[in-house]
Amino acid sequence: MKKPGHWLYAAVPSTAAFFSLLLLVQACWIPVKAELAQWLIERSWEKTLGGDPDSRPWPWADTRAQAILSVPSRGIRQIVLAGNSGRNLAFGPVFVDGSPNSRDRVISGHRDTHFRFLEFLQAGDLIRLTTRDSAKWYQVRYLEVVDSRFRELVIDPGLDRVSLVTCYPFDSLQAGGPLRYVVTAMPLEPRLQPIAENPRGLLQAPGPVQSARPGR
Amino acid sequence: MSHQSSIRDELEAAAWRHHWAFARRLAGKRRPARPQATRRSPESQPTTRKKRDSLIWQDRALLIISAVLLALLIIRVETAEADGPEESFFGLEFQGKAAEQRAVALDTGIQVEITGLTARVEVTQVFSNTGKGWAEAIYRYPLPPGAAVDRMRLEVGDRVLEGEIQEKEQARRQYQQAKSSGKTASLVEQQRSNQFETRLANIGPGDEIRVSISFLASIDYRDGSFSLRIPLTFTPRFEDGQADIQPLMFAGMAGSYNPAVSPGQFPIDDHRLTIDVDLRATMALSSIESSYHDVDIQPSLNGYHISLTDPDTRTDRVFELAWAPEFGTAPESTLSSFDDGEFIYAMLMLAPPLAEAISPQSREVVFVIDTSGSMEGTSLAQAKAALKLGLRFLGPDDRFNLIRFSSDSEQLWRESVPAYTDYLEEANGFIDELAANGGTMMAPALGKAMNLPEQDGLLRQIVFVTDGSVGNEQELLLQIGEELRESRLFTVSIGSAPNAWFMRKAAEIGRGSHTHIGRLEEVEDRMTGLWSRIENPAIKNLCIDWGMDAEFYPEIIPDLYAGEPLWLYARLPQEPRQVTVCGELEGSDWEMESRPLEVSGSENLATLWARSKIEALEDSRVFGTDPDTVREEVLDIALEFGLLTRYTSLVAVDKTPARPGTLDLESENVPSLLPAGSGMTSGFSGTATGWLAQCLLALFSLLVATGMLLGAGGYRSPMTSSVA
Repeated sequence: MKKPGHWLYAAVPSTAAFFSLLLLVQACWIPVKAELAQWLIERSWEKTLGGDPDSRPWPWADTRAQAILSVPSRGIRQIVLAGNSGRNLAFGPVFVDGSPNSRDRVISGHRDTHFRFLEFLQAGDLIRLTTRDSAKWYQVRYLEVVDSRFRELVIDPGLDRVSLVTCYPFDSLQAGGPLRYVVTAMPLEPRLQPIAENPRGLLQAPGPVQSARPGR
Repeated sequence: MSHQSSIRDELEAAAWRHHWAFARRLAGKRRPARPQATRRSPESQPTTRKKRDSLIWQDRALLIISAVLLALLIIRVETAEADGPEESFFGLEFQGKAAEQRAVALDTGIQVEITGLTARVEVTQVFSNTGKGWAEAIYRYPLPPGAAVDRMRLEVGDRVLEGEIQEKEQARRQYQQAKSSGKTASLVEQQRSNQFETRLANIGPGDEIRVSISFLASIDYRDGSFSLRIPLTFTPRFEDGQADIQPLMFAGMAGSYNPAVSPGQFPIDDHRLTIDVDLRATMALSSIESSYHDVDIQPSLNGYHISLTDPDTRTDRVFELAWAPEFGTAPESTLSSFDDGEFIYAMLMLAPPLAEAISPQSREVVFVIDTSGSMEGTSLAQAKAALKLGLRFLGPDDRFNLIRFSSDSEQLWRESVPAYTDYLEEANGFIDELAANGGTMMAPALGKAMNLPEQDGLLRQIVFVTDGSVGNEQELLLQIGEELRESRLFTVSIGSAPNAWFMRKAAEIGRGSHTHIGRLEEVEDRMTGLWSRIENPAIKNLCIDWGMDAEFYPEIIPDLYAGEPLWLYARLPQEPRQVTVCGELEGSDWEMESRPLEVSGSENLATLWARSKIEALEDSRVFGTDPDTVREEVLDIALEFGLLTRYTSLVAVDKTPARPGTLDLESENVPSLLPAGSGMTSGFSGTATGWLAQCLLALFSLLVATGMLLGAGGYRSPMTSSVA
């Protein structure tokens, strides 16, 4: 049935609808890409473990899989990439430049894709970081909100720690604010190290560790 | 009220008249069988007209809304997320119980000693707690890039805190101890490297606070002139010369930063500034200028003494001192030394001859450009602009070539070609078509550039343009060291987060220089600087005979370029007698003896030597030296010379409790552990995509648009029915 009317009355909303759809697809593509990429990267990680240090997730990728970050208590297993760029952050959490080879590692991720789970981390939670050469347990010690206008990250080779950084507040609709949420984890004492690891890399947190975070 | 409504009525009537034809046409099209609808005059059917009016108005409003929506959508689809502006506040920020801001008198004294390419800057500032209660304050000072505070003295009332360089681990333990003994409430937080920050506790009412800090700043050299910039303004982002006066701020709420304060809130009469500069010139100067202040310049034994003319100067703008060396027709070399009782620390300066005094040499320039995925967008645009500018500088006798790389690499010509118009055009076309995609495989591209067929008698200069996101720095540096031979490597880093260390080292090993281009507007300026530099190599393959066993840095001596003096720092077992410099000048061997300066240098010479040694030690780690050995050696030197390194920090512990027990204070005695500015630091990256907001926006607009489409069909039914 042909609708009568001035052409503007049909053209403007149709164009608006078209752009809305475009925007919708573009927006929804972000989390989908985040998931898909992790899956592709998983394969290149296996190749990396197999001894190919330069294995790329896809041939034109400008990044490499460098470690596995897992938080058993939250059912999280993610592959950490090299190269702290916006492009790489879309695919997964990344090592802040200069940190993958030091003992003091800083990993940043998007608060609304991969690092959504940081919100639910509590002091005492266990984090496992597996690199090509080692696998180590860390325990969450500090949870803090910092203002990136006044602070910057210091990579201190004298420290053994893992810091996870994401944007804050978690539920803000607006991207690009100055606040960051920083979770700092220190190595777990050897006697508390979980002994066995299940094949999927997901573990139950061992008993002695209790959450010490108030108000949650 | 009635007047207003009558105006509205009239407007509506006008609108109705205006749209009457349109509405009639719509109605006519839809209901051709009911001509009576169009025949009725509006006056005779007031009720119907009202209804129609409101409907048309609704319709128009919807159209406008959707048009606005459309515009928003297009903008949203087009733009990427932009980060908000960064702001910071410098000065003393009181954190007491009172929430109001208070201003205090402030004196600032700055002492500067300039030696070679480094300045030792000592800043003394006086504040006073004009409030009625005890307070805690945060002191912040803006630092020039790369500077770190390594000496400090804080006087609060009659207490004195002194900074001390300690091993980091020890400092941390001491800090923990102080903390557990109940002395502190302070947090060890990381801070930005471009500012110094310390906490001051227990400031009594009326107390005077005297903060004295000292840092080493590097001297800038560009276009034949040296300059030193000391940020003085306590404003967010001190910009050149123009600044608001925001001397000082006291914020009541603990932990709240409050950078936006209007200048009128403070009495500014008491803010005095004195600056004394001791410029130890080791060569003749043609000019000394202060960009934003009036200064007195007096010749002194060491060189020149510069002080402010106006005793009423305020701390409202950057202090910038610029001086230009005067070059002769022949190279010059001077030697100054400092005896610390055990060793002699010497500084050798080499001044090149005037550019006009050297006959220009033709060169072979190989451009290597990174086209990997990370270069996408502005980075690639900057790189392209830089290359094109580079092509313009080629002379008719020069030869050149182009190589691009990402996952693979591609060279434009098998062998470098003369800089003829045809070839230049071809090169410009090649650059235009470059697109960013793929990985960053630097090694093969560098290999290609370094192993091009040699051009007889031409010095090969490789200009390497990249954003520097590399993982295998060590291998690359080794490769450059092995394959570069007689060529020179000039690195140009692009964008906001280049691996500056790697780029600088690569240039150092390649005996070239490193240029950083941060923004597109900087391309012209920086590339012109680079070009005027590499066009005139004055002395190549420098060598130095100290006449004894000398430990000197840099170990790889760069070439001497026209307009650009060179400094070397040495530690010698005894007073130098005859130091000979040799090299290659205009293709033939050259040699000259250094002239010792009559006035002895200061202890800064020892500091400078120690700093260069530490840098060399740190670099050796990349080439396989055991990290623990490096750590030990660096630590020894750092403690001996009182230097900040990645293994040491500056510590200040307040030992005298000052507060009378009866008075309540929210904060306790605070020892502060000051993080070293020389560690590796990094800004935070944007870690939110905002996809949810985008999704919601899209859904909302889709809803409105759909409603509009349906509405366009639906609105007529009530109208037509009423008409009927």
